[in-house]
Parts: sequence; structure tokens; C-alpha cells
Amino acid sequence: MKEEDRNPSQAARREFLSKLGRVATCAGAVVGAAGLGVVSNASGKSEPASEPASFPTKDYDWTQHDWAFGVDATKCIGCLRCVEACKRENNVPANAHQFRTWVERYVYLEGEDSAHIDSQQDPVNIEASGSEKEYRFANRYKQGKVEKAFFVPKLCNHCTHPNCVQVCPVGATYRTKDGVVLIDQEYCIGCRYCVQACPYGARYLDERKGTADKCTWCYHRITKGLQPACVEVCPVGARVFGDRRDHQSPISLFIRNNRVQVLRPESGNAPNVFYVGIDKEVN
Amino acid sequence: MPKHIFRLLVLIFGGLAVALVAIPLLTVDSFYRFGHYRANSVPEIAAQEPVYQTARYCLACHTPRVAQWSANNHKTVTCETCHGAAQGHPANGKLPIPKDTVKLCTLCHEAMPGRPSTQPQIVLAQHNPLATSGQQCTACHNPHAPKIAAALVKVTGNAAAGKQAAESCASCHGADGISPNDTWPSLAGQNAAYLARILAAYKSGDQKDVVMTPLAQALSDADIQNLAVYYAGLSCKDAPGGTSAGDAAAGKVLAKNCAGCHGETGISGNPAWPNFAGQKAGYLVNVLKAFRAGLRKDPMMAGVSRSLSDADIANLAAYYAEQSCQPKK
Repeated sequence: MKEEDRNPSQAARREFLSKLGRVATCAGAVVGAAGLGVVSNASGKSEPASEPASFPTKDYDWTQHDWAFGVDATKCIGCLRCVEACKRENNVPANAHQFRTWVERYVYLEGEDSAHIDSQQDPVNIEASGSEKEYRFANRYKQGKVEKAFFVPKLCNHCTHPNCVQVCPVGATYRTKDGVVLIDQEYCIGCRYCVQACPYGARYLDERKGTADKCTWCYHRITKGLQPACVEVCPVGARVFGDRRDHQSPISLFIRNNRVQVLRPESGNAPNVFYVGIDKEVN
Repeated sequence: MPKHIFRLLVLIFGGLAVALVAIPLLTVDSFYRFGHYRANSVPEIAAQEPVYQTARYCLACHTPRVAQWSANNHKTVTCETCHGAAQGHPANGKLPIPKDTVKLCTLCHEAMPGRPSTQPQIVLAQHNPLATSGQQCTACHNPHAPKIAAALVKVTGNAAAGKQAAESCASCHGADGISPNDTWPSLAGQNAAYLARILAAYKSGDQKDVVMTPLAQALSDADIQNLAVYYAGLSCKDAPGGTSAGDAAAGKVLAKNCAGCHGETGISGNPAWPNFAGQKAGYLVNVLKAFRAGLRKDPMMAGVSRSLSDADIANLAAYYAEQSCQPKK
């Protein structure tokens, strides 16, 4: 009984496998032959005969620039106009939790060693602004004696060796030739590896699109010769932006004339946002 | 080679061949152009339209405004910092600053630990005590030229020398600085910085008066300082009441708008600005009308006097004339 049962099923399996083998061989041969042609076609197609003069736009050549950003914490007044402008310019979700750029406040009260740190998304500050769509620092340290206090604007550091790019499984984030780390919203699958990988917390997931998002240094503005929106609206010049290839640009002068530092230099990411006037508590 | 191994190998190489064909077919052309990413996404990102248009965009139409702004203290603050992004303007409507200017201005100017000492900062309760009842920053400040012109002048004069120089003033302003009639101002107890500024303005011709101009031109700079210190040191006397036709109660309501600079009862908070408490009503009426008509020039007073009617002016004068000129202790 057993053998009778087994034989037909074995025969069927063998038949199926041999058929599959034949189909695979044929398909492999046919497709392989065709494939060689397609591959050569495809590679021919991807390199247009006449390369456009400049990339990415006709007026802007990314091989001619090397962008960098400076933050002068001794000038920042914590007015948060930059945060508002960034949200508007880049269509960032209008809530108090997702930001491409933000401002932190460090306050040392008398007799305390560590700083009190808050940002515009602290509930006390949201209450002071009256809405999650407006931003304001509450004047909350009136009682205690403040020994030292300063504001620190933060944003993506556009690292030279970005680990957010390294972890992306689909090639949806990359560093451009002019030194800006961008996200391809079409290829991003929203897996949030990059959000986890960033040591500065600069990335967030935009639930509306299901993709990761972060500061682009307003790539659409700088390629048109404008300043990033946050730099444009800063009333006190606490944010500096420019091209390091131009030795007289604001950022070149800023780096040359100040004792600048970067955040978490030990991470090996080689960040490109340079800070003045911060202390060891900021990282 | 056993048959089942052969079949396995066929499957593996078959799969590889399919993958070799499928990968270039499914990968967009620009993907490996510069690296492991889609090169076409770069021009896509670069093509986005800017929302903030920069001051150059505003300059195209608002030339006078831009000229005033770029010559004053707010020149580092671009148009869109206060007015908001200009994309879609003017097609989509005007771009006024928010109505609640107290909220807007204190974003930068509220005194707060962490703000650099070079940033002008105010404590709202002291600087604008009426903010809670709706007194806006723009009542006194022009956002395009925010600094109020009359800066505090330090007055260093000699009161005794001033007393001698004042002999020629006494016929009009009174021997003790209390004017004998209603149309000339009393000077006793007035702020020295204000007196010095006004005398200097008569001397330079910035302010003109048939009687005062030649008198002031005869004074040296030292005389002006001495006179200012002398009159500021005299004790004022409250004017006899009932000299104005105005309604003091109505004036009191209006005077709330003046309180930011001139104090609630006309005792000014800043020595560069005049005290009004106990001043002659007729004189106050004349001065306000001169500001309104542009005969006396002051950007701030021109702005605030423009909307005053004759009755308003009379009421204000009556209110201030009634006040005690001695500061409350």
C-alpha cells in the first residue's frame, strides 16, 4: 500500500521538477541572450550623447560649490523666527514635535552644575505661544538667579561621512557633490533606519508622506543663489551660510575668524555645521 | 554529476540570469549616475519654488518703506521676518504684520536670560504697563524706524550761572519759572535734558518761534546747559485750575495713549521727554496743534497728534493742567 501511494506522488514531483528545470533553462537561455542586448541598450541609454553643461540645473553646477553652515550662539536671541520660516518654506507638519531646525535653551541656575535644557517643543513654551503652530520661549526663569544662559539653533549637520546615508537600504538618501545630504522622497520606504542612525536627532518621519524628512539647507533656494530661509529671516545674524570654496564668503570668514567647534566630533561623521559660543553641555 | 545537483545548478543560474535582466529593467536610468542614488532626484528637489522672497522682491514696489527701513535699526531684520513669507503677494492679498504687536515685538525684545546684552530688551510691565488693556507697541514705535528720536542727553550745567542767564527769560516765563499767563510754558521742574534739547533746537533752527529763535541764537552751548539745569532745579507750582475749556475726565481717557512716554499723570518716564503735569493748558493746546499741523517737527508726535480733534486736544490739556506736578513719592 505504502509503495503504491508513494510512487505516483514521487513520479509527479519528479515530472514537475524536470519540467521546471527545462522551463528555467529555456528561459535562462532566451532571457540571457536578450538580456545582453538589453543591458548594452540600457547602459547606452543612461549616458546621453550630449551631457548637459551643468547639474542639477542649467544655472547651477554642483561641482563648483562646497556649502557649510555656521551658528553663533552668542548672537541668538531665541525668537524662533527661523523655526517658523523653515516650517513654512519646506511644508513641515504644523505641530510642535517635528522640526527640520529647532532652538535649544541652556540655563545654569545659581549653585547648579548642569544646565536646564528646553526647546520650543517644551509644554511650558507651547503654552506661552498659545498654539502648536507658533513658537515662543516662555520667560520661565524669573525666580531663580541665572548664572549663565544661551540659545543654540540646531539643524542637520550635513556630515561629510553621514551614517544616515550608510544605513539606508534603498539608496534614498545621499550626499551631493556640493556637500548637502538629501532625501529622495520617491525612493524612501519609511523604514526609519536613518532616523535612528543620526546622532543629532535631525531626522523625523513625516507621517503624511510616510517618508523620512530633514533639513536640506533649503537646497531649492541655495541652487538659485538665495540663502536658506532660516538664515534669511534671522534678525541678528546668528545663522551664517555660504560656500567654503569662496574664501571671502560669510562662512569662510566665520570659520577663519572664530574658534569654531562641531557637535560630537568623536562620532567620526565630520559635521559641516560650525558652532561658536557653546559649551560642553551641547551635543 | 548527480541529477539533482545538476537541476539545482540550473535553477541557481537560471535565477541569476533573470536577475541580471530584471535589475537594469527595473532600475531607473539615473540611479547609478553619480552613486547609489537616483540622480534625477537632485534636480527635482532643486526645482521646488522658494516661499520666502527676500527684501529685493519687496523693494520692487515698496521703495520708500524699504529706504526708511534700511536706514534704521531694524535693517538687519528682513521684511519677511515680521510680515511673513511673500510668496503669492500681492495677488493673494496684503501682508500686514500681526495685529497683536505686543506679542510680535516681545518675541525678540522681552527681557530674558540667554539674550545677549546687546539686544534691546524690555520688561513689559514697566515699559508698557497698558499692554494688558490693548496698548500696542506701534502706538509709540514705528516698526520701520523703531528707535525713538529723543535720546537721553546728559546735562552738565551750573545752576548759579543759569540763574544769571535766566534774568532775560523771566519777563515771559516768570522769575521762578512759573509763567504768568496761559500761553507761555512754565519751566520750573521741567526735565533738564528736554529743556536743553529744545533750546538747542531753537538755536540750530530745527524748531522755530518768532520770540525764541533770536533769543536762543544769542545763547552759547554752555548757557543752554546752565539754563536747563537751573530751571530743572526750581520747584514747580500747580497751575490754578479751571483755565481750560476742555473736559478733564475725557482727557484722562485719552491720556492713556500718551502714558507710555509721558507718564500716566504727565510725569515723564524719560528725562528727554517733557513733563506736562501742572503745565499751562493754553500752551499745551498750542503745542499739540503745532505738532498736528507739522509746524513743530517730531516724527513720533506727528504720528500721535494726527488723529486728535480740537476737542481732544482741549480735553488733554485740561487733564494735564489739573495734575500735580510733584512726582508721587
